[in-house]
Amino acid sequence: MLEIHLYGKLRRFAANRDPARDSVVCVPVKEGDTIQDVLVQLGIPLYEVGSNIFLNWQYSALNRRVRDGDRLAVFPDDMQLLYRWYFNKVGAGEDDRG
Amino acid sequence: MAKILRVNMKNRTTKYQDVPEKYKLRGGRWLTSSIVCDEVDPLCHPLGPNNKVVFAPGIVTGTAAPTSSRISVGAKSPLTGGGKETNAGSAWPVDMARLGLKAIVVEDQPKEKDKFWLLHVTKDGAKLLPADEYVGKGLYEAYPKLFERFGKKVNIMGIGTAGERKMAMAGICFNDLSDRPSRYAGRGGVGAVLGSKGLKFIVIDSGGGTDVPIANKELFDRGCKKLEEALNTADITKPKGSLNTYGTAVVINIMNEAGGLPTRNFSSGVFEGAAKVSGETLFEENKKRLGKELYNHACSPGCIIKCSNTWYNPDGTEQVSCQEYESIWAFGPNCSIDNLDVIGKLIWMCNDYGLDTIEAGGTVAVAMEAGLAKFGDGKKAIELMQEIGKGTPLGHVLGNGAAVTGKVLGVVRVPQIKGQNMPAYDPRAVKGIGVTYATSPMGADHTAGYTIAPEVVGVGGKVDQFSVDKGKLSRDFQSTTAFTFDSTGHCLFIAFAILDIASGFEGVVEECNGVLGTNWTGDDVTKIGLDILRMERKFNEAAGFTSAHDRVPEFMKREPLPPHNTVFDVPDKILDSVHKF
Repeated sequence: MLEIHLYGKLRRFAANRDPARDSVVCVPVKEGDTIQDVLVQLGIPLYEVGSNIFLNWQYSALNRRVRDGDRLAVFPDDMQLLYRWYFNKVGAGEDDRG
Repeated sequence: MAKILRVNMKNRTTKYQDVPEKYKLRGGRWLTSSIVCDEVDPLCHPLGPNNKVVFAPGIVTGTAAPTSSRISVGAKSPLTGGGKETNAGSAWPVDMARLGLKAIVVEDQPKEKDKFWLLHVTKDGAKLLPADEYVGKGLYEAYPKLFERFGKKVNIMGIGTAGERKMAMAGICFNDLSDRPSRYAGRGGVGAVLGSKGLKFIVIDSGGGTDVPIANKELFDRGCKKLEEALNTADITKPKGSLNTYGTAVVINIMNEAGGLPTRNFSSGVFEGAAKVSGETLFEENKKRLGKELYNHACSPGCIIKCSNTWYNPDGTEQVSCQEYESIWAFGPNCSIDNLDVIGKLIWMCNDYGLDTIEAGGTVAVAMEAGLAKFGDGKKAIELMQEIGKGTPLGHVLGNGAAVTGKVLGVVRVPQIKGQNMPAYDPRAVKGIGVTYATSPMGADHTAGYTIAPEVVGVGGKVDQFSVDKGKLSRDFQSTTAFTFDSTGHCLFIAFAILDIASGFEGVVEECNGVLGTNWTGDDVTKIGLDILRMERKFNEAAGFTSAHDRVPEFMKREPLPPHNTVFDVPDKILDSVHKF
């Protein structure tokens, strides 16, 4: 399973929307699925997804592959304000996990 | 004709001086650092007669330029021992600008011990009056009395009891637009320097003042419009955007998910209670307590972003303004406290005593590490803060900051650089900010490198947030910050808009050219930023700083930070390359 933590307006895709607790969705992943694939499967419009996406706490691009047991956090486009110029994304083919 | 107001605390005299030619185009940090570097002996004792405190509004402060009402404060810092610039948003510098004051320089110190004065500045002149009746009182008690005495239209700079007692975590307080003592030029202990000079308040009344002269109105208006459009367009800065809705505390969840939210005195990058103290929770809880949505307010006139929040008690009465990201983090995750009411109380105490919340929270965390309280014990954290408020011997130790407290209590893990506690980003998880912490002339300071820069977000490449090749990036950030935000008077949060929208940055340069009649280009202002850094570095070198001071604490090089389990491994040669230009 992939554990997805949603923030801001994206919390509406989880059962819990109270921000004092985590808004989590768990989905099964198939071999080769990317972050974008799972978000699309959940029905999350990509235009609402910001650049602050973290896979296992690592700043990641939408085309990065996910695996069973991973933890994904997704912030919406209006919350992408973390010092992003200090971060470069890890994308497809740049994964240090091989 | 703009003037510099000089206040001599030994003779208790004031005098207005014409602005020397070399300072005519300077404002904000450019001017405060220039005066400190030109006039203060780098080897002087920060609390002795030869230090000075310099106040300067930004270049465009007091004009119609959006989000530009920042005041810079400069001095030699009793916390770091180096030069210091710290700034805040308030209506206070607008009054300065409208009275034609380019700078106020506070010099020397009185012979009498424990005597305090207030400076009353109006269009007719500046006068020092006794302030003994306010000594020993909290700022929440003193400010209303001052407004009652001098009128609702004045604006007030002040120090609290921590500054009177010359504690190195004492900040300088400015009132917000609702007259609360809540906007701080917090860092570096500049409040203690004013305390050493016996100056408790500067009350400014700009009644009868004049508009700030603008050399080229058309160009200035064009610049303002560009910046205004950028601020109103960007998702983060626009009305009801994330800063206006959630405040700076929106960053709590983001930094937590990046694994770099310093928790329990920089022992972990993830705080299990983060959701409870996040900006989103703050907004929702206020909504429950007030029965309506509450968007944030401006700290200063003319701000479009409006990110300052107010936190309400369960009964709907006001507890405190403002619960900023850094302040929540300092007492929350960093002390393992997951309750916004307790954190709010601790922030209120900082505002009342006149303290820098970052240094105060960092110090409580170090005291917790030493065993004076358990991590997460909010009641004990409040008691420790009360020691500072009472000025007990323990309070004096704590009041001198995390580095002193760590030394006295035998704590090895003190997350400080040049004596200043780190803010809310762990450098083991975000190495670029670590380079800035290490090499900024200010000590560990997140705002020193928060700026427009080449867009790195969409870039692929092999590096990630753990990449160590951040030397040039940090230099570019630091130099751009030194001018574009800290010297113009703009808030650094305009970065969120002008990063995405290039015309926004053009607008800032055009505003400056419009006010000053200059023809600066983007390259010119970058060079000015480098000049400012060079000047500040030179002061620090003369004060005894070497490259050995541009390093992170040893424990961060050997103690991996969960969840990434990485150490700070940026090579020294990269740190040393930052200021080779």
